Amino acid sequence: MKKKKFNYKRQEGLVGYIFILPWIFGFLVFTAGPLLFSLVASFTNYNITSQMDFIGTNNYEKLLFNDQLFWTSLYNTLYYVAFSVPLTTIGAIFLSVLLNQDVPGLRFFRTIYYLPAVLSGVGVYLLWMQLLDPGTGFINMFLGWFGIDGPNWLFDPEWTKPSLILMKLWSVGGGMLLYLASLQGVPKSLYEAAEIDGASKWQQFCYITLPMITPVIFFDVVTSLIGGFQIFQEAYVMTNGGGGPVNSLLFYNYYMWNKAFKVFDMGYAMAMSWILFIIIFILTMINLKLAPRWVHYEGESKR
Amino acid sequence: MYFYFSIIQEEENGLIKKRILLSLVAVMLILSGCAGFQVGGDKAKTVEAEAEGKVVVDFWSFWGSEIRRPVIDKIIEDFNKSQDDIVVKHTFIPWGDIWTKELAAIAAGDPPDVVINDINATALRGEKKQAMNLSEFLEKDDISERFYPELWDATLYEGDSYGIPFNTDTRILYYNKAAFKEVGLDPEKPPTTWTELEKYAAKLDKKNGNTYDRLGFYPLFGINYDVWMLNASGKNFVDVEGNVEVDTDVNQETLNWLLKWKERYGDNVVNSYKSQIDSQQSNPFFTGKLGMFINTPTFYTQIRDYAPELDFGVAMLPEREPGNGHTSWGGGFVAEIPEGSSHPEEAWEFIKYLTDKEAQEYWAVKNYDNVANVEAAEAAAKSSEMSEKDQVVYQMAVDNMEHTLLTPTPLDAPDFPTLINPEIDNVMLGNKTPEQALKDAQAAVEQLVEENK
Repeated sequence: MKKKKFNYKRQEGLVGYIFILPWIFGFLVFTAGPLLFSLVASFTNYNITSQMDFIGTNNYEKLLFNDQLFWTSLYNTLYYVAFSVPLTTIGAIFLSVLLNQDVPGLRFFRTIYYLPAVLSGVGVYLLWMQLLDPGTGFINMFLGWFGIDGPNWLFDPEWTKPSLILMKLWSVGGGMLLYLASLQGVPKSLYEAAEIDGASKWQQFCYITLPMITPVIFFDVVTSLIGGFQIFQEAYVMTNGGGGPVNSLLFYNYYMWNKAFKVFDMGYAMAMSWILFIIIFILTMINLKLAPRWVHYEGESKR
Repeated sequence: MYFYFSIIQEEENGLIKKRILLSLVAVMLILSGCAGFQVGGDKAKTVEAEAEGKVVVDFWSFWGSEIRRPVIDKIIEDFNKSQDDIVVKHTFIPWGDIWTKELAAIAAGDPPDVVINDINATALRGEKKQAMNLSEFLEKDDISERFYPELWDATLYEGDSYGIPFNTDTRILYYNKAAFKEVGLDPEKPPTTWTELEKYAAKLDKKNGNTYDRLGFYPLFGINYDVWMLNASGKNFVDVEGNVEVDTDVNQETLNWLLKWKERYGDNVVNSYKSQIDSQQSNPFFTGKLGMFINTPTFYTQIRDYAPELDFGVAMLPEREPGNGHTSWGGGFVAEIPEGSSHPEEAWEFIKYLTDKEAQEYWAVKNYDNVANVEAAEAAAKSSEMSEKDQVVYQMAVDNMEHTLLTPTPLDAPDFPTLINPEIDNVMLGNKTPEQALKDAQAAVEQLVEENK
């Protein structure tokens, strides 16, 4: 009897594996395989076409101790992540709370605010290059109306990264959508009870709304942190393939791409990608460890 | 957008989901259907050609614009008709993708047979065994004499050529003749030295309060600091042996000279002019608001299209001091055979045709582009299809080739500009002195060379 059940279970397991076989195949061949290969190749001078000699940890040593641009690019990327992640998260929550109010024309506003998230890619960057133009751009013209002498945005190394962060803020609509969905899931009864107890709107927001949407905040922070480290296109397009003034837009992935496809030092680029992987991995682990302290799941019993 | 929110609100409603899924599938089917059709068309052509016993040469270029594409397609058609053994198939790949795709194809062992690539990095691709060593073909028919020597030299790695020059460019000085007359300068005597350039610019300046109604000249419009340093020293920053010459007296002098211009006009004037030039909508040179401007000879086609009435002349770049040389800077593209091509012999035949006088002259005249073939370039300048003004500018470009240097990518420091550029930026922003910046740049590039040796 027992044996039969075991067999049945095994059989079921086997069928399960067969069903996910396409995914397993894809994962092994297109994800795990290349991942492993890049780890191996990061210890070589691989350049795709002519050489792949084992050179020990040379690439890593060079990166960490002898490459000033590596540190420049890492600093630029950290700067960008440190500001863009909190700002876009706060911006998205703020917008979604506003758009969760019951006012006429709500759908219209939601559409308007979501629109920038639909537009993406090179077109948007070119648009922003025009908007940020110090002389003729709309942003400085707008600031001029209030008597503010706008900065040189993409031409001033102090302002290049803030320019990109500003541009990112424009398209918080994507995150807003997530928050909006979770805001709608907060039970009305909680607010009613709080109101009866005399809680103010602000208290309701801090003690009901925020805790209830923490799972989404957590998800958003983790994904945008990972995404933030991978910033590439923006810098590539908006600097015409340079690093921006004083290399202020030389981001990590962009520098890596240069090493891989301009200089053909693929081994070096792979070593860079592994360092980035370790950084992101550690940060994500920290995130996951901290999560139980502030992320609240509905129906979860507090330990 | 309404549609997005309804998905969320009615997430439970499987029907809508299903409908969206179905329409997605339909779209995918239509798209894949189109792709299938295209592939089928190409395949049919290939199969047909093979049935006739012809070899198909796969040719990749990034010339997809409505101006360039018909010209290259006509050249290919002429080649296909000129013989019975080879059929060239042109594949257009966008500028941003072509070389990474080529690299992937080489790595996969199934590359195209001819690709248009950057001339300055030819040796680098030769060293990395991406491009094929063409010496076996050149031993049989040496066509190196066809081209400007500077271009040919840029294709060499350890003495062997890895790509055949196709087109090129250079930098020349455009000046507004009407403005010259207005301020009493001889419109037939453009400035020949840096000192004259400064003097003429001062005369042409027309100040109006804080701004300028006309700016005489600014050296960093149209070109960068590196061209001026090349013009002054006649040398690249890193030579073939890996010697770094960034921190030199000449470069320091040049940098100081550039700073002087910036101080004279001020950041605001420079930035506002620069953004007009970058926007490519209203170049101040077209409207007479900029007296002199340095750019490529093909910039002339923009004048022809947008400011046909402009009375202008062209000249060589001024020299630092008399006798120093009017050195200018150029680049260009080569036709190369990727390593692993299955039909190198046939590819070579096509490259020979592509860089021969007839095809090159046709390309030069139809595109108003500088070509690598000397005879073709000289013939194009006299072509009856060009207007008088076309010919004058083209002849200037041809004459300027003698003074034009290329900046081939040094094998020991292929990405050295990323190290020099920020230092120069710092100088222009007033954060560093020229002495310090050049010293730091020199050290950084030397270290890069050291590590790559």
